[in-house]
Amino acid sequence: MSLLTKKPDLEKRTRGATVTLDGRYLPPPEDKDGKVWVRTSAIIQADAHDLYTLWRDLEAVPHWQEQITRVIKTGDRTSHWVMQKDDKTIEWDAEILADEPGKRIAWRSTGGDLEQAGEVVFEPASTGRGTMVTLLQEFKQSKIGLAWESLTDRNPKQGVIENLRHFKALAETGEIPRTQGQPHGPRGTIGDVKSSAYGETVPVPAGTRRAS
Amino acid sequence: MKAVCWMGKSKLETLNVPDPQILNPHDAIIKITRTAICGSDLHLFDGFIPTMEAGDILGHEFMGVVEEVGSGVTNLKQGDRVVVPFTIACGNCQFCKKKIWAACDNTNPNAHLMEAAYGYSGSGLFGYSHMMGGYAGGQAQYARVPFANVGPLKIDSDLPDEKVLFLSDIFPTGYMAAENAQIQEGDTVAVWGCGPVGQFAIASAFMLGAGQVIAIDRLPERLELARSMGAVSVDFSHEDTSVLTALKDLTGGIGPDSCIDAVGLESHSSDLQGVYDKVKNALLLETDRPSVLRQAIQAVRKGGTLSIPGVYGGMLDKVPFGAAFGKGITMKMGQTNMHTYMKPLLERIEKGQIDPSYIISHRISLDEAPAMYEVWRDKKENVTKIVIDPWLDKAA
Repeated sequence: MSLLTKKPDLEKRTRGATVTLDGRYLPPPEDKDGKVWVRTSAIIQADAHDLYTLWRDLEAVPHWQEQITRVIKTGDRTSHWVMQKDDKTIEWDAEILADEPGKRIAWRSTGGDLEQAGEVVFEPASTGRGTMVTLLQEFKQSKIGLAWESLTDRNPKQGVIENLRHFKALAETGEIPRTQGQPHGPRGTIGDVKSSAYGETVPVPAGTRRAS
Repeated sequence: MKAVCWMGKSKLETLNVPDPQILNPHDAIIKITRTAICGSDLHLFDGFIPTMEAGDILGHEFMGVVEEVGSGVTNLKQGDRVVVPFTIACGNCQFCKKKIWAACDNTNPNAHLMEAAYGYSGSGLFGYSHMMGGYAGGQAQYARVPFANVGPLKIDSDLPDEKVLFLSDIFPTGYMAAENAQIQEGDTVAVWGCGPVGQFAIASAFMLGAGQVIAIDRLPERLELARSMGAVSVDFSHEDTSVLTALKDLTGGIGPDSCIDAVGLESHSSDLQGVYDKVKNALLLETDRPSVLRQAIQAVRKGGTLSIPGVYGGMLDKVPFGAAFGKGITMKMGQTNMHTYMKPLLERIEKGQIDPSYIISHRISLDEAPAMYEVWRDKKENVTKIVIDPWLDKAA
């Protein structure tokens, strides 16, 4: 039961978001009951410093992370986060544990409705291929809870993958692709259910620039 | 506005739906002046492509006039005439930078669905299932065009719509098929399927230096069009015609240097294998009917090239991979990298080297479209290509 009470703290893990160690590939951590991990990566056609700056601008996070409605800076390294999942408001405080400009940011929650920790690493990709961004995020959540959320809403693991995808699209193009709000004919009940299953009902973040 | 909506397998309706709006900075709204029904739309009509949902607006071959642009679009303005490529590309990801536009990383909002099916996601497409982006299509009076700063090709000349409309898909698709066939001067190229893409593959193969093009189909009007472009026709519906024998006879026994499968997943075969695939499809043991692919692998010469512009969607059975390996053939395929070909092909049209409107057989209204899908599927009325005028007021 200790796992269920232990707070997530990615910084104490020896490997963090790293994908290789001494020339060997490291698989992502396996889920345990009470704790789930997701590791995802993207090659982004932008400079590592610019990407770090975009990620580090916490108050701009609602522009590209799903369901985050507000982030308020409460100190140099601390912040307060507000998430909206349908009619449920989830709030927590977070602190930055490691901050290496152009290279790496690690964080964890310090109190509130959600317990999570994460690390993002920015590394130059092979010559002329942009920056490799690797994200590892850990949540305190039971497997049953995870399964339930997958059915009723965005699975939090998929949410992390989508957030990195949004981040990449925003960094590379200045917008996040969307179809929400476009015309269509009557969907019917089955169409509505499938739209939800496809993840199309989760609001796509606005991107930094608004449409005219 | 009026739009052709997919309402289920073999069930289409022309409905009134809301007009599209600008949703992102690089969007443009296009007032559509001409649009067309593609052979690949039949795969949607026939229910072969998963993640089509009721209410989806069909159509990916369209052109029109810019009505409105988002704040990030500086290369287009209201009133510009444009042809819109069916693949949507961002222009900035590593794939766009490599000119593999159809593999764009940033234009499919449902990339995770395609990742589940194919490993990685390609670009978003107009009107071609939720897995491929879920974008509303262009068999409508207006369309929202994302990344309009990258895709639409401006038409500055006064060329009529019908001469440039097919730059939206089938002319570049046929051309890329010929390019993928790696044709050397004087080569023999065999083309299966003489629908629109096959016709443009035939014309393009000659443009790229083919000495002989062999056109394979079963519909007389299509074979006649192919002959009019200079191809030798092989009608496989004739009882005494074996395609493989014909191809040997026409190449001194070595087989075509390049084969082009412009048919894809719903090929027809008079052989036993045609029945075999239909039974396996019905039992959900196979999703595609690859009889042309099998034949083309068998037919191509040793060390030859097989180019596949025909669409495949899922699982194939009994593909003679040993023959492919044994002969050391090269296979090239995939969605068209539209943005590479549109401008050079427009120049060929402007210079009078080709007038793509030669394939058009039917001109219809949006209201007539649902019924015309059936005509198109069943190859009635000598149909070769259907073009829609979305402002034509003509009831079904």
